[in-house]
Amino acid sequence: MMRRVGIVGAGITECRGRWVEKTYWDLFQTAVREVLASSKMTVDDVDSVIYGIYNDIFEHQAIPESSLTGLIGMTNKPGTRVTSGGATGFYAMRAAIMEVASGMSEVVLCVGGEKATDCFDPISKSPTPMVINTIAYSWDPFFENPLGATANDSYMQMCMGYNDSYPGDIGDPLVRAKIVEKLCRQGNRNPYAQRRDEHVTVEHVMNSRWIIPPFLRLLEACMYTEGAGATIFASEKKAHELSERTGEPIIWVRGVGAANEAYAAGRGGYYKPLDRIVSDRLAAERAYEMAGVKPSDIKIVELHDAFVAQLIVTMGETGFVKIGKTRALIDEGIMADIDDLGDHKAPAGKQVLVNPSGGLIFGGHFVGGSNMFSMWSARREMINRQVPLALVHGTGAMNACFGGAIVLELDERGA
Amino acid sequence: MKKREMLIPEGYNLPKEVVVIPGKDGSPYLQFNTAMLTLYKQTYGELSPFFFGIREGKLIGARCKKCKQVMVPAASWHCPNCNFASMEPVTLPHQGVLAATAPITFFPSATFIGKAPFCRGYVDIAIGAPSASFLPCRLRTTTGIPRPGIFVKGVELKIVFEDDRQGTILDIFAVPMQEVPAKLRKKEPLLASQLNLENPPVPKLTENKKWKAPFATTMKEIRAMAGKITKGSRATKDLADRSHTIGVKTGGGKFAMVIANGKLRIVDTAPKKVDFTMTAEDPTVFSKWVRGGSLSDAVMEGLLWLPNLEAFPALYALDRLPRSIRRDEEEK
Repeated sequence: MMRRVGIVGAGITECRGRWVEKTYWDLFQTAVREVLASSKMTVDDVDSVIYGIYNDIFEHQAIPESSLTGLIGMTNKPGTRVTSGGATGFYAMRAAIMEVASGMSEVVLCVGGEKATDCFDPISKSPTPMVINTIAYSWDPFFENPLGATANDSYMQMCMGYNDSYPGDIGDPLVRAKIVEKLCRQGNRNPYAQRRDEHVTVEHVMNSRWIIPPFLRLLEACMYTEGAGATIFASEKKAHELSERTGEPIIWVRGVGAANEAYAAGRGGYYKPLDRIVSDRLAAERAYEMAGVKPSDIKIVELHDAFVAQLIVTMGETGFVKIGKTRALIDEGIMADIDDLGDHKAPAGKQVLVNPSGGLIFGGHFVGGSNMFSMWSARREMINRQVPLALVHGTGAMNACFGGAIVLELDERGA
Repeated sequence: MKKREMLIPEGYNLPKEVVVIPGKDGSPYLQFNTAMLTLYKQTYGELSPFFFGIREGKLIGARCKKCKQVMVPAASWHCPNCNFASMEPVTLPHQGVLAATAPITFFPSATFIGKAPFCRGYVDIAIGAPSASFLPCRLRTTTGIPRPGIFVKGVELKIVFEDDRQGTILDIFAVPMQEVPAKLRKKEPLLASQLNLENPPVPKLTENKKWKAPFATTMKEIRAMAGKITKGSRATKDLADRSHTIGVKTGGGKFAMVIANGKLRIVDTAPKKVDFTMTAEDPTVFSKWVRGGSLSDAVMEGLLWLPNLEAFPALYALDRLPRSIRRDEEEK
């Protein structure tokens, strides 16, 4: 990286299935107010803004960031909107990091969010089919959309392809249910989590309704969330200055990796293979290389868990378990348990704490800002547990073909 | 000719209104009905040769003159792998193999409500090419509603063309080759009307002693549930304005469900004329339903066989019954 980039603040709104009380204007403003207040900053400290907004149709405006500029105090400052499917939050943060690393700006605000469930389907008289419809516009109008592609099918297609090549690995419903139970207990400790009051057990998961057999029951899927999240990135000099103001340690961006696979699935060449998430693997490898670390150095992971089966494959692709032998997450206890760690202990030995926020399944999934939600949690957990290295991951688009990863490092004075 | 369909179906609309809704904070808020609507006359542009091909009963791919890779469908005429070397059209065979096991969609987007379950997957058509993209394709079976175990990786598929084709990707679909009669396997194009897709034969079930006792228990449970329907408003409402006669065959015995006048009647012998027949080797799928599970879960797992989409409205009404009865009882 050209210049060192530090994270000096992160804030999120409460995650809700629907915010009747707020439009997306107030959701974004709330996240900005949160991050500035907790970082003891004002809008005057910020040079530039990056917006993460995934889908115009949800916000019901084609340039949604234009109406936000004044409301979040960014008048007359540069502003860039980033949109990259499920990986929008990651790519928005990558743009903010690049802006600081390049020397173009000293302090950059990165804010992302979603207002997803104002959508309504008049036939079923419920929002869900219209939300699915809106996401389905992510597929092309010539082939995939007319065929009825949905986000569920897209991720499950990848899981089925994986299962064809590595049979039996993600197919054990008990392993998946145990992971869901852990994520639930983690979500219970996140005061902003959408499902913080739910108590989901292995039995609940295994008896919940099928969405797509054999890898997806209702309790194995992420939610639709309305909310917003914001992160502040600063140059080394500014980061130290702001960190002294807040008394909170700096989280340094040590490595960033990204890769987008081809949209078209195929055999050989540059086509997207259906049995792996190559984008996740490449993104993680590139982030590790830039950071000079290995997966075993990392003790906290906040990854984009659209579905539990995909979480498992992503843990394989990012190198925490072996591809084809991912059930080690449970069998060998690789996934730490929050009940053993409490609020302050760091995972020991081979263990890694995966999605302490509750992830997208229990915490929240406001698409344009979900990865900022992950960033907020990773920062919080690194500071609370004094963990030196963490990974934030994002994925998205058809058959999970977009991937991104950020390696974070806790400032030595905080460790 | 099919009746011309409009893009926006009847009833797909909301009244113009602003209403008061409660917030979680206890305060009232206002909500307005609105839509983000765009209609298109969208060009197929460079994709036109592929869709002309579909109209003519052909499958057109694009082959790179340099690396010989084939794009299926023909999505570009310049190879991204070879610094955009030019690609030429190739006529492809109407068969291939499924590149990966395909998911079955039961919960579709708003556009596809009433058309699920359906199956879509990726078909490797240009098998001889050194590299190729896969054809995204609707997958259909002549053996009833799609279920797990049919569309698995490597299964040989025949591409079938609708008789009446406009030039859309839904003008073609793939059927397992082994379901196509031998004399039709080489036919190009094979037309949908040459296959029996709408009225599949009911699978043959041989009754087995081991299912006799579970069947008897199941029947008791279904009858007890049917008796409770008229005692509550929710369950009665689930069946209101419905009229279905459904034959049921299991490994432990047969029965029929007659839905009429807001009631469910269980009879031992199916009437001569049934709307459709469902089959399950294991009769306890019905016990699980009565105890608060669902029949559609059994369909999704492949344990309960249904012939076609017409069976689903009845299935969803039956699915709601156990929960409605429980809620009716809780109210009392």
